[in-house]
Amino acid sequence: MAFTLYALIQTAILCVNAIAVLHEERFLSKIGWGADQGIGGFGDEPGIKSQLMNLIRSVRTVMRVPLIIVNSICIVLLLLFG
Amino acid sequence: MGRLRAEQQNRRNREMRKLRMRSPGSGTSDPNQLFDDTSSGSAGFRSQEASGLGYPAQALLSEPMSNFAMAYGSSLASQGKEMVDKNLDRFIPISKLKYYFAVDTVYVGKKLGLLVFPYMHQNWEVSYQQDTPVAPRFDINAPDLYIPAMAFITYILVAGLALGTQDRFSPEILGMQASSALVWLIIEVLATLLSLYLVTVNTDLTTIDLIAFSGYKYVGMIVGVLAGLLFGKTGYYLILLWCCMAIFVFMIRTLRLKILSEAAAEGVLVRGAKNQLRMYLTMAIAAAQPVFMYWLTFHLIR
Repeated sequence: MAFTLYALIQTAILCVNAIAVLHEERFLSKIGWGADQGIGGFGDEPGIKSQLMNLIRSVRTVMRVPLIIVNSICIVLLLLFG
Repeated sequence: MGRLRAEQQNRRNREMRKLRMRSPGSGTSDPNQLFDDTSSGSAGFRSQEASGLGYPAQALLSEPMSNFAMAYGSSLASQGKEMVDKNLDRFIPISKLKYYFAVDTVYVGKKLGLLVFPYMHQNWEVSYQQDTPVAPRFDINAPDLYIPAMAFITYILVAGLALGTQDRFSPEILGMQASSALVWLIIEVLATLLSLYLVTVNTDLTTIDLIAFSGYKYVGMIVGVLAGLLFGKTGYYLILLWCCMAIFVFMIRTLRLKILSEAAAEGVLVRGAKNQLRMYLTMAIAAAQPVFMYWLTFHLIR
């Protein structure tokens, strides 16, 4: 119940890490959530599943490099201050 | 001259609001003017910008060198101010934020009444003025950020008061309450944004609108906690129940016009998967408000 802003930042980092770790070939394609399996027709309603797949793919593409930096900072801070 | 122009402006805006229609090209109405010009003495915005530093020149500064130095200093200051404004505007949209704080006392009073008793209000549409939404002081349905900000701060103070009457107070607790409530607010806004993205709703709800709507529940929370302090647990539960129902109805009626399609907004229940999903989304957002209201206040009343 007693949340701090730092807890929120930690939660956000953990969630984004979890999304970034999903492997394209070994996992997402196996369960039908691959990047090339979602683009149906160019109808007007994308649907929730294709929106989710788009979101996962874009998070993985965009957040790779910033996540490396943020995780390194987090590791150093945890080592220094516990 | 500037005050006369502002008064004419206000009269024209009031007339437009009475007619409640999209005004086609009503001439000199300036959508950029959110606030009344109450500067005493000098007129209008232009002379304020041109006057620079603005303190009266004194006799000993009338030498040409010091004039030159003063002009140079003021031009440096205005350059720095412009640069800071430009850079700050990239991160925090200051001009958009100003719209949400253009309120007056009448609007605040009516909106607070609407938050506690929304059952009699008929017309929930936001009125527009040439494609830009009208400032909140002219339209009671427009969202604002003044009430949520004030209600948030008041909630923290009332929480401190409630904890103080039970001998559980210490200054760190105020900070903890504030950051807890802020974190829940951020989580709620992020969850709403995510679900709006997944359902692909074509809406003009901005992030700041969502923050405003999520902040309206603090009013009900304050009323509930105060009732709990005055009347004990039964008073708290009764008043909180009333405020939860009120905010539930308020959110549904407000969001229905923004999320659901036009046909559904007029009351006709349009079947179809798309509208059903949007209806569920509206219901979920509105139902999350009473949950948060109870979650953030029940530990304050013993």
